[in-house]
Amino acid sequence: MKTVTGDLKKSVDALKKLLPAEDILTFSFTADKGQQFTCVFADAITDKELLGEQVVRALRGFDGEPKAKNVAAKLSSPETKTEKSLQTLAEETLAGNPVLLFEGMDEAVIVGTKKVPVRAISEPSTDVVVKGPREGFIEDVKTNTALVRRRLKTGELKIETVEVGRRSHTVVAVCYLDGTSVAVAEAVKRKLQEIDIDVVPDSSYLTHFLASRPYSLVKQVGTTEKPDIFCAKIAEGRVGLLVDGSPIALTVPYLIVEDFQSSEDYFVPAYRATFTRLLRLFALFVAIYLPAFYVAAQLFKLQLFPIKLLLTIAGSIRDIPFSPSLEMLLVLLVLEVLNEASIRMPKYVGMALSVVGALVLGETAVSAGFVSTPAIIIIAFSGIGLYAVPNLIEQTSVLRLAMLLVAGSVGTYGIVLVTAFMIFYLVTTENFGSPLVAPFSPLIGRDLRDSVFKYDLGSLETRPRSVGSPNKRRLK
Amino acid sequence: MKKISARQLYFFLACVAPVGKLVAMPSQLAAAAGNDLLFPAFCQYVLQSLAVCAVLWLATKERTLGELLENTFGKVVSKILLTLLSGFFLFAALFPLLEQKLFVQSAFYDTLPSLAGFAPFFLFSAYLCAKPLSSFGRAWDILGPIAIAGFFGVILLSAGEADYAALLPLGAHGAKGFWAGLSQICAWFFDAALLLPLIGNIQPERGMIWKGTLFYALGGCAVLFFLAVFFGIFQETAAGQLFAFSKTSKYFSGITVLGRIDYLFIYALALVMAFYVAMPLQACVELAVQAYGNRRVLAPVLSVVLNGLFLLLLLLIDYRAGEVGDTVTKTLFFLFPAFALAVPALCLPLRRDRRERA
Repeated sequence: MKTVTGDLKKSVDALKKLLPAEDILTFSFTADKGQQFTCVFADAITDKELLGEQVVRALRGFDGEPKAKNVAAKLSSPETKTEKSLQTLAEETLAGNPVLLFEGMDEAVIVGTKKVPVRAISEPSTDVVVKGPREGFIEDVKTNTALVRRRLKTGELKIETVEVGRRSHTVVAVCYLDGTSVAVAEAVKRKLQEIDIDVVPDSSYLTHFLASRPYSLVKQVGTTEKPDIFCAKIAEGRVGLLVDGSPIALTVPYLIVEDFQSSEDYFVPAYRATFTRLLRLFALFVAIYLPAFYVAAQLFKLQLFPIKLLLTIAGSIRDIPFSPSLEMLLVLLVLEVLNEASIRMPKYVGMALSVVGALVLGETAVSAGFVSTPAIIIIAFSGIGLYAVPNLIEQTSVLRLAMLLVAGSVGTYGIVLVTAFMIFYLVTTENFGSPLVAPFSPLIGRDLRDSVFKYDLGSLETRPRSVGSPNKRRLK
Repeated sequence: MKKISARQLYFFLACVAPVGKLVAMPSQLAAAAGNDLLFPAFCQYVLQSLAVCAVLWLATKERTLGELLENTFGKVVSKILLTLLSGFFLFAALFPLLEQKLFVQSAFYDTLPSLAGFAPFFLFSAYLCAKPLSSFGRAWDILGPIAIAGFFGVILLSAGEADYAALLPLGAHGAKGFWAGLSQICAWFFDAALLLPLIGNIQPERGMIWKGTLFYALGGCAVLFFLAVFFGIFQETAAGQLFAFSKTSKYFSGITVLGRIDYLFIYALALVMAFYVAMPLQACVELAVQAYGNRRVLAPVLSVVLNGLFLLLLLLIDYRAGEVGDTVTKTLFFLFPAFALAVPALCLPLRRDRRERA
């Protein structure tokens, strides 16, 4: 391991050799007593104004013994540390922390004057609320930990950092409450340390490594962009992960019921929250099953339609050249394409796209006899229903397609079998010791109070048993 | 996966087990015992409840059947007995599969589909069979409420349409009718035997024996009530009404306006039934694993082979399914009480340790 030597020039050269990039700059200055200093820093991510203020100005009058501790004490920066290893110094420089080297000393001082360009805190577009906090996480892990600290002002909140990524050295902050979720936190840290990947551009990369069934369609790690939800989950006994460069925080253990809950449910009366949660569940079922049942009923079991509806449907599909399953697949495909395009397109084009989608594709396709009106109504209803639970879109849209294919080939019995398979698969999946479908399976009566039902806050005196926290009581 | 909890077992006994008796049994019973159909069913339930009680008593020992047999008879005899019991489940699996196949073809399709419509069941069953029995407990937690919703939905839509006076006069078919009914429904009553592979995988709790028996009896009451509704609706024509629970609710007055909404409940029960029908095959695989070990290899291989064989068998007897079913219910019926009643009774001494006996 190469280390800093007493020879300033040699040390700087060695460090520059490790950091050959053009944006790594050096700045040398001399103290009043003639002591030579050299500062190595990364151009775009170092606060040069702060560097001048806290380092250069502070060391102008330096006249002490040339020891790293003395120099560090003289600096007006609250964030300093000393280091010998050139490799570590190089990593710190790349992280935005300037390295201060000086003549005659075999140690360097690292100064915390990082300045990474960050966007302002804003309301996340994926989780909008009418009532409740509007702050959202941003891409900077330090800002995000500050948002968490602001809500959990307790010494029991542990924030431990782990670096993941051979090249990206992405900082992952593992947040948990001491005495509440230590075992899970240890397991999470162990898993993070085992990850051997070059770059971690986003927190979603980590979900693969944290899942017990990584190739599964089923979501196994919770996600949120809101610090209030993140803190509430930590308070329930979960472990949260903030990943530098990502506004999406992760939480484990994850229960599928979490995605049917919104932060707003806790700010409105319990009966209203229960109603909206049941509505979300209903919407999701309709979104997944309605197109499949419509196709299966048309192909295999016409009795499922009331007679008047059957006559209406018969009238609309009379001239359609495609089979019901193909017709539904086409409409679904168009919806998915429109959806994908509207997400990626610039906002001003989005309006035009809506017009094209709704009028040109919808209206014209019906009048041209390509697709029937009921098919469009059903897919539209299904599309809206899917967005009632936005965090499960990736999974449910695939499931809807699978159901549709099975319904078109095997009929309603196929739908029943896929459902049975899904139930068995879900109940046998667990992550970090928590069953995915808890508190329904295994049935935990007390946890049902905050599941798809929502009891009054006064009734939620314990932490969810599904999460498995040893510290059970919340409300005294 | 943890052990099956006592609560999950109650869900199975009260909600999942009765579902298998709602399809073809009512019409078979009506054909044999006419308006006295409740008596043979009641008698079967009493006998099965006793057997369930015995198996639950064995389960409190927290050792698998294989371990209990080995402790008493040694390795070789234990393997032979487990293989024999596994063979029974292989035989017992055939009838529910035939029943399910005919039910699916009738209730899920307007026109008779090919076997291909039912074939995907074997994929599902193979997946289930490859998993350890303990994972079933979690499924019962979900299936219990689904079965309750399905059953109450069907009953709600049909109970009002029944003429319960049709069950009178009691005893009109005499002892002959009673005996015919009792023997012909044996093929539906082997729930106690189904519990045998589960013992050792159940986490016992205080009072589990009487609670379990009570829950099984509650499930029995629901089936008896359904039988009364069924006969009250169809009366003399009940014997011809195969797949009873998919037919009783179709006379509900709201159906002309709403369509066959009763199918939602029927499909819910069919979902539960898919799990129940796969259970004998899973019990067969589990006992083979207990006898010969090596779960990682044996369980998936046996699951695929057995389900593949049954698919082939159903393909071969596709047009003779009715006759095969009749052979099971009318000729080979004695095998069911032999294994479902006698085996649990004979297993009772296994609960005592060899050391205790000495």
